[in-house]
Amino acid sequence: MRTENAVFLLVLLLAAGFFSYNVQRLLSYLSIAQPDDRSGHPLVRLKNVITVAFLQKKILRDPVAGPMHALIFWGFVVLTVGTIELLLNGSFPAFSYAFLPSQLYTFYSISQDVFGALVLGAIAFAFYRRLVLHPERLEGDGLEHSDALLILGAIAGLMVTMFAVNAFGLALEPDSITRAKPLSLALSIPLRNLPTGLLTGAHAVFWWMHALLVLAFLNYLPYSKHLHIVSSIPNVYFSNSQGPGPKGVIRFLDLEAENVEQFGAADVDQMTWKDLLDGYTCTECGRCTSVCPAHLTGKVLSPRKIIIDTRRRLMEKAPLMLGDYSEVAHHALVHGEGDEGSMSATAILEHRLLDNFITEEELWQCTTCRACIQECPVGIEHLDHIVDMRRNLVLMESRFPPEVLPTFESMERNGSPWAFRPDDRAKWADGLDIPTMAELTERGESPEILFWVGCMGSFDDRSKKISVAFARILQAAGVPFAILGQEETCNGDPARRMGNEYLYQTLAKQNIETLTRCDVKTIVTFCPHCFHQIGNEYPQLGGNYEVIHHSTYIERLLEAGRVPFDTDAGKTLTMAYHDSCYLGRYNDVYDAPRETLRRALPIVTMVEPERTRDRGMCCGAGGGRMFMEETQGKRINIERAEQLLATGADTLAVACPFCMTMISDGVKAKGSDVPVLDISEVVASRLRV
Amino acid sequence: MKIAVCIKRVPDMETRFKIAASGTAVDEAGLKYDMSDFDGYAVETALQLNEKQGPGETVVISLGPDVVQEQLRKALSMGADRAVQLKAERVPTDGLVIARALAAELKGGAYDLIFFGRQAVDSANATVGPMVAELLGLPCATAVSTLDIANGRGTARRDLEGAAEIVEFALPAVVTIDEGMPRARYPSLKGIMAAKKKPLEVKPAQLGEERLTLEKMELPPERAAGRIVGEGPGAVAELVRLLHTEAKVL
Repeated sequence: MRTENAVFLLVLLLAAGFFSYNVQRLLSYLSIAQPDDRSGHPLVRLKNVITVAFLQKKILRDPVAGPMHALIFWGFVVLTVGTIELLLNGSFPAFSYAFLPSQLYTFYSISQDVFGALVLGAIAFAFYRRLVLHPERLEGDGLEHSDALLILGAIAGLMVTMFAVNAFGLALEPDSITRAKPLSLALSIPLRNLPTGLLTGAHAVFWWMHALLVLAFLNYLPYSKHLHIVSSIPNVYFSNSQGPGPKGVIRFLDLEAENVEQFGAADVDQMTWKDLLDGYTCTECGRCTSVCPAHLTGKVLSPRKIIIDTRRRLMEKAPLMLGDYSEVAHHALVHGEGDEGSMSATAILEHRLLDNFITEEELWQCTTCRACIQECPVGIEHLDHIVDMRRNLVLMESRFPPEVLPTFESMERNGSPWAFRPDDRAKWADGLDIPTMAELTERGESPEILFWVGCMGSFDDRSKKISVAFARILQAAGVPFAILGQEETCNGDPARRMGNEYLYQTLAKQNIETLTRCDVKTIVTFCPHCFHQIGNEYPQLGGNYEVIHHSTYIERLLEAGRVPFDTDAGKTLTMAYHDSCYLGRYNDVYDAPRETLRRALPIVTMVEPERTRDRGMCCGAGGGRMFMEETQGKRINIERAEQLLATGADTLAVACPFCMTMISDGVKAKGSDVPVLDISEVVASRLRV
Repeated sequence: MKIAVCIKRVPDMETRFKIAASGTAVDEAGLKYDMSDFDGYAVETALQLNEKQGPGETVVISLGPDVVQEQLRKALSMGADRAVQLKAERVPTDGLVIARALAAELKGGAYDLIFFGRQAVDSANATVGPMVAELLGLPCATAVSTLDIANGRGTARRDLEGAAEIVEFALPAVVTIDEGMPRARYPSLKGIMAAKKKPLEVKPAQLGEERLTLEKMELPPERAAGRIVGEGPGAVAELVRLLHTEAKVL
């Protein structure tokens, strides 16, 4: 071994050692977090890693930045193979991949050159995009471009030095085994005439530059948002955002556990390790914030900020919790104790994520629409952070917008978010000859399905018409069904989304008790919130039922030819369908409502708003927002109504009673008289009487 | 400060009441109960006073059968320190009997303030608070909508029809609380858990003889359904005539 190889080996070991020290430091910070079992379903998780991480499925949703990033990422994967060869070769000159079969080696050589060039091109575009195009989502939340520019510069440097090493190497030895690298070979041709000494020197200089840059870049990662290249694969693996299991299910909170004194999270050590890993993984791309309905209508909430704040607070608090005061001491040394930008350890420990970093206002603005999670290419689950902090606000501190108090109280007293009398719950069905489960049980009968009406369908005047329309379809199709009548209560979704897990579990347990007593197997509902909650979240409390949304159910009835239609073809309509978040992004039901409309109206023209399907924009009612004042910025429902009206549709269709209220109000506020119909109303209007 | 708050369990007033077979009580089937609204304001006022003015004790007292413990627990979960149930088979109709039982409990308690709701939202007598004040020989400010306590004296505002009164009194005193005071806080789960461990003492209520008994309850006559007189300007004359002759509001 020559001296320079020994020196390099030492540098390599030092760099690797420092990197692993930092990785262990960051891993140790996760130890302050709460447990969360994400070990199940390794195959599904692996599949997510392959599609989301390696195939860049989410990244490619952005038609501009997507291909750019994918090229850099794939280039990184391919070129890492070459980097390993280079680092090993630098320490042990005898090492190279030359032992590979020659065709494979040639393929490897070509791949290095081709991807090197592609990455360089992509980096050039990235610079152009960041410095000239200034995409909106890369701004805001106190972000600085310096980190990103440094990273881009480093990658560019890596590529340039790599080509230089190869070119000078080939100029020295044109017949070297590496000559299969077409670009490097081309670059080497003009260099061949240079003196050998110069070539050797230049080759050595670029080699060291490249190798040191690799090691420096590696050690820069733990101090930068670029850490995502290490953390995103595990984060995608452990993320539940693509499954396993139904999407968007809120973490169960055991309220009866002994000795638990904290419910929800006010600070990083009360969050789960996955929440903190989310923080490490965020690369501040802003895809989440750019689709957030609250952010888009001028509110302070930015899902990206929630994640960045989680990381900032973790980096501040975790070292102190683990007994490492060096950061504080360093800060005090540089800035002086108590100076601006510097805080004592006690002050840091007295701070917390909630209030000091993230305000109550931000948290209550979330509609839980899942658009942020849907867009995140690295499996960050923003809603876990938000709901956990809402839980702390409600369960620990009883802090929530004042208008929510009557909602909670009414859910407690009346079993619905509004102060309607529970005994009026089935009044909409008066005279429609709809039996209740209790009546059927008395007669010794059991229906094919339970029609779960929901609070909107029971009490809201507009939604009661949807209840009637759906009941008429079921009757016309000859489906034996029943309702629970007064035995039904709110499913608890608004309480759960607003952090009131205690109230949620009280209501859910009561419903599960009723459903079990009535021996219910199949439930059909037109409310996506009831649909998601009962079908996907009740299993946490032991309630397991087949729950079908009416869009799917009606589609099946139509497909089976069970719905008797009038012989005319119905009205000629141009329709835009608005996707409900809890039906679409939460449950992937996109086609059933559209197909239902098509089958019901043979001459319908379906038009799509710009934001549609899994990119659909929330109406503004989810996450308990239905029951809160919207005081900041533009109203979300008006923004969405504008988007829908911009399609030029003469009729708007929805499949959620909350969307119905919000979109109808939005359309009215715009002074438009375009009707807003539930898909069941469209179908019912064509029934043969 | 040591503050006592006397609270009453009442049915949810949104209910469509039915009269029980006895004819002297409401049918309890399906009724939901809560603390009387004004009593909720009273508990909240006491809690905020003690939170603001430093170490104190808030004691909640309710007279009635064991079910009143539900409302006492709620007050504890809001933050009251301890509770006393004056056990009685039922809540007497005669307010003076209730007042005497409460006064007997409050007498030796060395309370600086004794709070009541302005009235119970179900029976609406508004008598027990002033009676307790009389029995204990304390000043009494009723239907108070703001309250300041400083240097052993209280200043309270009473909202009247079209005017307001500001009254002053020395502590100890009895105060009955009206709207305008802060609404009862929503108990946090932390509070509910803590309430399970707080003391709730059960004592027999010292009940005297009732000089007032409930003979009969009846529902108010059903309101006639609204009538549509007609549409457009043509209907105005008829509407005015009906408002004048039938509704007699013009």
